[in-house]
Amino acid sequence: MPEGNAVYYWRTDLRLDSTERAFLKQYYINKVYCRYFDVVMDTVESQGPKPNATITFSDTLPDGIEIIPTVYITEDCMHQPHQGLAEKLVKRIRQMNETNDIKAVREIQIDCDYTSKSLKTYYQFLKEVKEAWGQHLSTTIRLHQLSMPAPPVDDGVLMLYNTGDPRKWTERNPILDIRDVSPFLKRLDDYPLPLAAAYPVFSWLRIINGIHVEHTVEADEILKVKEAVEQKRKGLKRSIITYHLDKENIDRYKPETYEEIYHH
Amino acid sequence: MKRFIITNLLAVITLPMLACAGGWTTNHYLFSVYESEDFSNRMDEITRNNWKTYLGLADDQYYWFRAEDIIKVAQSKNDALMISYVQNLEKYLDCARQVSYERWEYPTKEELAKRKQALQSVQTYAQSKLKTRLRSQHALLYMRCNMLLGQHQQNITFWEQTASQYIETVYKDMMKNIYAGALYKSGQTDKAGELFAEMGDYTSLMTIYYKKRSFAAIRQEYQKNPNAKVLPFLLQDFVNNAQEADDVTNPNAEGFGGKLFIRDLSKAEVLQMRDFCEQVLSEGKTETPILWKSAKAWLEYMFGSKQQAYADISEAITMAGTNRMKDDARVLYLYIKSALVPQSDDFDSWLAGELDWLDQKKNDDYFFQNAQNRIVQQTLKDRYANDPVKELALLNATGSYLYRNYIDTMKVENLERFYFFTLKTPKTEFERSMKSRLTKEDYVLEDLIGTKYMRLCQWDKAIQWLENIPTSFYESRGYAVYAANRRYNLGPWIKRQWLNSNQMYGDQEIKFSQSPKLQFTREVQKMEGELSVLSGEEQKKQYYELAVRYAQASFTGDCWWLMRDGKSVMDTVRVNEVDLAAKAASYLQKAGDPKDFLLKEKVLFARAYVYMNPTPWYDQVWNNETYEYDMKPNPESAQYKAFITFATFAKQHASELSGYVTRCDEYSEFMKDFAKRQ
Repeated sequence: MPEGNAVYYWRTDLRLDSTERAFLKQYYINKVYCRYFDVVMDTVESQGPKPNATITFSDTLPDGIEIIPTVYITEDCMHQPHQGLAEKLVKRIRQMNETNDIKAVREIQIDCDYTSKSLKTYYQFLKEVKEAWGQHLSTTIRLHQLSMPAPPVDDGVLMLYNTGDPRKWTERNPILDIRDVSPFLKRLDDYPLPLAAAYPVFSWLRIINGIHVEHTVEADEILKVKEAVEQKRKGLKRSIITYHLDKENIDRYKPETYEEIYHH
Repeated sequence: MKRFIITNLLAVITLPMLACAGGWTTNHYLFSVYESEDFSNRMDEITRNNWKTYLGLADDQYYWFRAEDIIKVAQSKNDALMISYVQNLEKYLDCARQVSYERWEYPTKEELAKRKQALQSVQTYAQSKLKTRLRSQHALLYMRCNMLLGQHQQNITFWEQTASQYIETVYKDMMKNIYAGALYKSGQTDKAGELFAEMGDYTSLMTIYYKKRSFAAIRQEYQKNPNAKVLPFLLQDFVNNAQEADDVTNPNAEGFGGKLFIRDLSKAEVLQMRDFCEQVLSEGKTETPILWKSAKAWLEYMFGSKQQAYADISEAITMAGTNRMKDDARVLYLYIKSALVPQSDDFDSWLAGELDWLDQKKNDDYFFQNAQNRIVQQTLKDRYANDPVKELALLNATGSYLYRNYIDTMKVENLERFYFFTLKTPKTEFERSMKSRLTKEDYVLEDLIGTKYMRLCQWDKAIQWLENIPTSFYESRGYAVYAANRRYNLGPWIKRQWLNSNQMYGDQEIKFSQSPKLQFTREVQKMEGELSVLSGEEQKKQYYELAVRYAQASFTGDCWWLMRDGKSVMDTVRVNEVDLAAKAASYLQKAGDPKDFLLKEKVLFARAYVYMNPTPWYDQVWNNETYEYDMKPNPESAQYKAFITFATFAKQHASELSGYVTRCDEYSEFMKDFAKRQ
């Protein structure tokens, strides 16, 4: 796992404002995991998995920052194998790069909340993606997935967010709570895949029983989790990602917090 | 036409998405004065009718636009112009589909260039046909091409100099919409907004005003034009956002999910708006005073004086405005009056009339259904809280979700009174209105009344209500699979009765030879009746057996279905029911100290069962060092003491212990800790 700082970019239009550009520079961000499109089941015409919410490239990333095309696949797409899906996905990423003059793409990432029900199909799919892509392939790993066999990819990103049950929001912060992370810490040390760590800096606005509930994670909680996971697995210090790049998220925390999150 | 593809490029994708939008709520907006006719659907409908007429087809023969069908008919009519129009329209639609629909084939640079070329060729063609009899259609085609090519200035010029002079047709409406989009893209937001408001294009309006919604924006628009078409939209949005702010503190505003496009408002801004409404009315420049008076009344109700709000809305309903504004004022009047005026028979009669009116209106527009839900939830349910029969009738008749919850938790006597109300002839206008809308499912009330008596352990009365319910009723209940596969005569401390996936999801046809509830009720009634004639060991055994049944029927038992329709981890003992687990624990105490080894083992072990004790044998304490919960034994707890008693017994009979004891994880865990402490 190469050392470095990274961010996720999760909007539907690649367009950076001055704050976001300054952030990339200030925290030495060298990789942007950029969501290219989602893959969802076609419920209207029952045509199987199809691309959705494809990004528009209205802007380019600053020089020297590597873009990692990232594709989010809904779990139900993996309830059964879909012939040729991996090839179609890789071909589309390549074409998006070519049409939009995005060069030197080395790695792609697949994001899927796979479960024991979809694991077999998903892992076979990843093998096929790896074969079609021929270069570096990574995937996201959620905490509950640590107890399953590791996926057949080059490395993973440990998602340290959306750890709680949104229905029990009065008890635990659904975005991140150390008490939800801790049961999985014991699995970190010997998880057989190089891992980077991704921390949440986003907010989630919901209306529950007529009340505006904005979930955000306290800086201390993020840092507590960072300390706990890095204690169990030293390598997690080397490659750090925040989810996700957005002016509002940048303004949410003090620069010192970002410095500590990105502290190696 | 299958869909009216891309009228303008102000697609909704530019609006933010909320992760949890949708979902259930009774917290509906009550201020609905802007009549949005859903521009896109309206256009679809008219163009569809136009094609149907051209093809000479009936409504059930025409499905959607198919170029080849129209060309065939055009050929038979020797209509060369129509043929070339449809061919070019199809070329344009193909390009539009490529822009709108996501496919696996992402376009190459060459394809993008080709698409541009195709659009330019259609554009040139359409421009050349502007003096033909199909000039409106071709003009629209021309503007659509300009739009996809990003040539917005050309569309502005074309509309202003040419198309705006055309006769009124659906094509002209669509051109006007594209023109409004071009104005917006060129920075002429006000003009664009006015046009979108006039056309009822809510989506485009929200797109352009999303970040500009405020009291200041409304005042500015009003000052430019006191009758601007965009004002009802902006005012509606403002008042609804104010309602969102009020709902935060409104204990009756329930909901889970979330609404789109929320903007947080401060109370100060709301009060500024309220005062501005009064200013608008005093200036007398508005043609729709009802709009401003209703807005004022609703803001006043939420953030100011409720009595003033009642006076305002009473005045508003007499003022001039559109029909929609008048309907909305009537809804607000219903809400505010229901919340404020004292209860009387006159009110009941008036309410019956208003609910009848809502019933008619809600067939056409879901707003009225939502309004009714909110009014019931927030004013009427409290108004009738002291009259359970009227309250239940109202909740049932208006389809409120509260009905099921109320009948489940209310006192059995009240439910019985409601049951008899459903059988009698109505005497008042209110009763007539309610009874005409009551929905009643066979045996549901009878079963629930019987079950409520079971919850109170009044077995005689339970039997009276349950004995005439057919077994087929229970076979169709959601809990039937549990009722068919679980036994209430097996102690939960001996074995938990988990269902396997075959039982849960298999094709097992569930048939009962007798009602499972009635069977349980009769059995417990008989066993309790026998207690007085039994003595000694037999009586102790009977107490134990009764404890088993009570423990199983408790919400913590496997046979929870005897007393409830469903189970949740959040369950507790509810109002108007006996704590059955506590009753089981008391029977276990009465089972005393039997001589029979096996019975004694069961009684002592059952007393140590977690749900037979108010406190567990350990506490869970969070450890900040290990980031895990630690188990901290609590020797003062009831369960700990019960385990100690059992452990003492077990030590004396180590070789004779039953399998259910030696296999119990909880007991083993306790013993490990206990051993450490010795």
